[in-house]
Amino acid sequence: MAKVILEPIGEAREQSFRDDVWQAQREQMERHNQELQIKRDWVRDGWGKKYRERVRAKGKLTTWDRIDRLKDEDSPVLPIGTLVNYGRTFGPDERTSPGAGVVTAFARVHGRWVVVIANDNTVASGSWWPQTPEKIQRAQEIGLRMRLPVVYLVDCSGLFLPEQSNTFPGRMGAGAIFRMNSLLSAAGVPQIAGVHGDCIAGGGYMPIISDVVYMTEQAYMVIAGAALIKGAKSSQISSLTIGGPDVHVHLSRCADHRVPDDVVLLKRVREEISKLPSPACDYYRYGAEAAQPRFDADEMNGLFPTDHRMGFDVRQLLARLVDNSLFWEVLPHNGLEMICGVGRVNGLYTGFIANNPELTDHPAAGNVKRPGGILYREGIAKISQFSRTCNDDGIPIVWLQDISGFDIGVEAEKQGLLGYGSNLIYTNSSNEVPMITVLLRKCSGAGYYAMAGLPYRPVLQLATPITRLSVMEGRTLAIGAFRTKLDDNFNVIAENEGEAEKIRQGMQDVEQRIEGDMDPVLAAARRDVDEIVKPSELRPYLEAAVSMAYQAAGYRRMKNPRIWAMHDLSVLTR
Amino acid sequence: MFRTVMIANRGEIALRIIRACHGLGVRTVVAHSEADRDAPWLDEADLGVCVGGARADRSYLNADAILQAAEQTDCQAIHPGYGFLAENALFAARCEQQGITFIGPTARSIRLMGDKASAKRTMAEAGLPTIPGSDGALSGVDDAREIARQVGFPVLLKASAGGGGKGMRRCETEALLEEAFQQASLEAEKAFGDASLYLEKLITAGRHIEFQILCDAFGDAVHLGERECSIQRKHQKLVEESPSPIVSAEERRQLGTMAAQAVARVGYRGVGTVEFLRDPAGTFYFMEMNTRLQVEHPVTEMITGIDLVAEQLRVAANVPLTLQQDAIEFAGHAIEFRINAEDPDQGFKPDPGEIISFAAPEVELDDVRVRWDSAIRDGYRIPPHYDSMVGKLIVHGPDREAALRGSVQALNSLGLEGICTTAGFHLRLLAAPAFREGTYDIDFLASGDLVGG
Repeated sequence: MAKVILEPIGEAREQSFRDDVWQAQREQMERHNQELQIKRDWVRDGWGKKYRERVRAKGKLTTWDRIDRLKDEDSPVLPIGTLVNYGRTFGPDERTSPGAGVVTAFARVHGRWVVVIANDNTVASGSWWPQTPEKIQRAQEIGLRMRLPVVYLVDCSGLFLPEQSNTFPGRMGAGAIFRMNSLLSAAGVPQIAGVHGDCIAGGGYMPIISDVVYMTEQAYMVIAGAALIKGAKSSQISSLTIGGPDVHVHLSRCADHRVPDDVVLLKRVREEISKLPSPACDYYRYGAEAAQPRFDADEMNGLFPTDHRMGFDVRQLLARLVDNSLFWEVLPHNGLEMICGVGRVNGLYTGFIANNPELTDHPAAGNVKRPGGILYREGIAKISQFSRTCNDDGIPIVWLQDISGFDIGVEAEKQGLLGYGSNLIYTNSSNEVPMITVLLRKCSGAGYYAMAGLPYRPVLQLATPITRLSVMEGRTLAIGAFRTKLDDNFNVIAENEGEAEKIRQGMQDVEQRIEGDMDPVLAAARRDVDEIVKPSELRPYLEAAVSMAYQAAGYRRMKNPRIWAMHDLSVLTR
Repeated sequence: MFRTVMIANRGEIALRIIRACHGLGVRTVVAHSEADRDAPWLDEADLGVCVGGARADRSYLNADAILQAAEQTDCQAIHPGYGFLAENALFAARCEQQGITFIGPTARSIRLMGDKASAKRTMAEAGLPTIPGSDGALSGVDDAREIARQVGFPVLLKASAGGGGKGMRRCETEALLEEAFQQASLEAEKAFGDASLYLEKLITAGRHIEFQILCDAFGDAVHLGERECSIQRKHQKLVEESPSPIVSAEERRQLGTMAAQAVARVGYRGVGTVEFLRDPAGTFYFMEMNTRLQVEHPVTEMITGIDLVAEQLRVAANVPLTLQQDAIEFAGHAIEFRINAEDPDQGFKPDPGEIISFAAPEVELDDVRVRWDSAIRDGYRIPPHYDSMVGKLIVHGPDREAALRGSVQALNSLGLEGICTTAGFHLRLLAAPAFREGTYDIDFLASGDLVGG
């Protein structure tokens, strides 16, 4: 029977959590969520009210107002790269660069998911800081890989000059933005640009390669501003006179249409998008409805312990990510330390691979239990085969990481986990199906790599406020550094209490240093994760990402379910 | 047409569906509980499959068991009857994913119309008049107060996720609103797991008029007239009739057409009932929609001559509707009396027991027909685990007068020994002037002396 039968998974939280445990977990997570929200609000504020008022005084809309008008009324705005450059200052004036001066977000326009790249005109006139080009390219890359229309809302005075050596020359510097423009165009991905303000140098080049360019009456695009032109002062020419709509819409044709202001521009951009192919999502739902999970999305905030060493039932998590809380667990009897299977998100088939953080039975020695959050041979083989099968079938994969690493020791080496792990790496590296990686809690070392961490090019990598991302846990590192002072069981060996205390202190210092490294905000600031989301936001982001993976028909393999290789896998391993 | 259909229900409706299926040449597999192993309706089924223990949640509500049984017996479709899983959107979704056709609307329609607040919003958008009140769930008691002031007291607080009278509170004045709100929320939370309420202006002396709609899978819909169901005790219907004594032909045409179009507009499929409340001034307000075949469907069948269960099967098999609205005629008058195993003199206490003998009702009047929808036999013991319905007695005559006369005869001829039934109550009802004259309303039973005990 080549049927895809999804079964109910998960229970109401009253049945699976004691009230006091639930309350405590919720409160802890809420604290983290609030801290995250404070940071987001700070970024959203740009350089502050004064700058917003300046923008409005010019008869322009702020960046966020523009995005609000662009998107459908019932569409969320799902940003990525919000915390890029968080905590960094530049130059002797210690300027901040909230969000690296650009907003990159997903939103629906006429029902189609698009990538919006909008310079933040309240931050140094939308100019480009270190990491701004990379942030823009990441958004362009996602558009390219999933064939999503890209909308540029350009309001950009070029490079932030004091930092030009960090943004101009590099392989991923500003020039690479135009290269991505070119690749998008070469691949036939629609690009639409709205020019809202002073667009100089890089800013001037930004819209040109797009398929259609709109300019407002006060917008101009110039290779160099009037300030650099000899005789400009005496002839009273301004950047607007040499690069405004009069020149570019009518004489040079570097732009296509002129509009009076931001409001009309956004209306026009919406109309352009309505001419593009409708989303294919409903076609790929195969008649199913787009349904919410049976349990409230808000429950995600209380579901799992914030202490990464404590286990939890990951099936409860899955139940709150999939439609109707229905799931087909594949290979349930093998590799128990991993859970993999197929569910629907927004009515669309999605593969899930998740660590099981709880103790599981050793496959050979029945009464021995092994800790969870670790990859053993069977788990690696299972998810490796599942990943290949999803790729074969065209089922997008969501990786849910809560992993401290691979198994280590005598048995692990003899079994050749190096080989099995490399097999998995090879698979993920050569997969073409879109993969979305979610760093739930701990994500260490080879485990982070094996489960499609950023180097393996997921289309999106999300973290939660309690993500811990590093090569190894602090304690492990401390044990490694102080191994000569520890016995078989990793207890301190010392001549006296004083020395023991010194060793313990030393180990603690090492641990704490790496703890600091693990803060997900640092990772987000460096673009090692695309966005930190609250647990209750995981489902909305997945809904968007999965819809985006199915929206554009004709560019990737999407087998109809009756001929999935997944059925063979399930039958052969019954 | 499907080769084999599973019937996931029991009692008179299971038998009704079996007979409709056989009329279309469809084989029937009936899922039943352990308590119904020797049930009378199974005699007419092609196959019976036990799906679990006596308690409904182990058998008739056991979606896993029912789906498995349907797979194992090669069923192409499942008919859920009424009650049990008939309006369970998750069950409908699971049937569809397995390739088993759910005989009813899509999961999305069930969900849309099952939520009272969203149904009201949807129907209002389609132009149906709705009772003034909150637009969706109330955000709190202050919200309630503000809206109550706008629409005027007295008001009714109702549970968004509910029905059957639970989580409902009347409120006469603003001073009593806070308490009524707390009580209703609490009851709603307990009964449905959802404390959200919505508010409506309370209409007194209203009449419950519902329209039968039939939609195919291609967006075509017709209405099959109205039924009046104002004889209710604690929000449970006891008697239904069609046509309603108070609805004019023009009102029937207008409201029926509007209801049919509204329902088709949201992608509905199958049979459905749009319920209205008619206030004493004659305004009809949309109340809610039932996305299933109803208990009282026989009265509609008697006056239109249309087999609703057969139509359900056709629609589910993607056959386009052949019925044209202007070809549908409403002939004569039909009344249905629910015969329950209850003692009307003891507050309608259920009286499950053994039916020592029974005699089907008869009528000796020209032009008056009797229909008896029931699945019992001599010696049948009514199980205590389910509802107390014994059968439905439907009488049809050329006009209401004839139907009333026929009803008296039929009820008197109905013989059910061994249990108490509501037949005696119905005879008292037939003698009541308000009922004879057709001037009764929804408060009639509560206010009168007909309900003893």
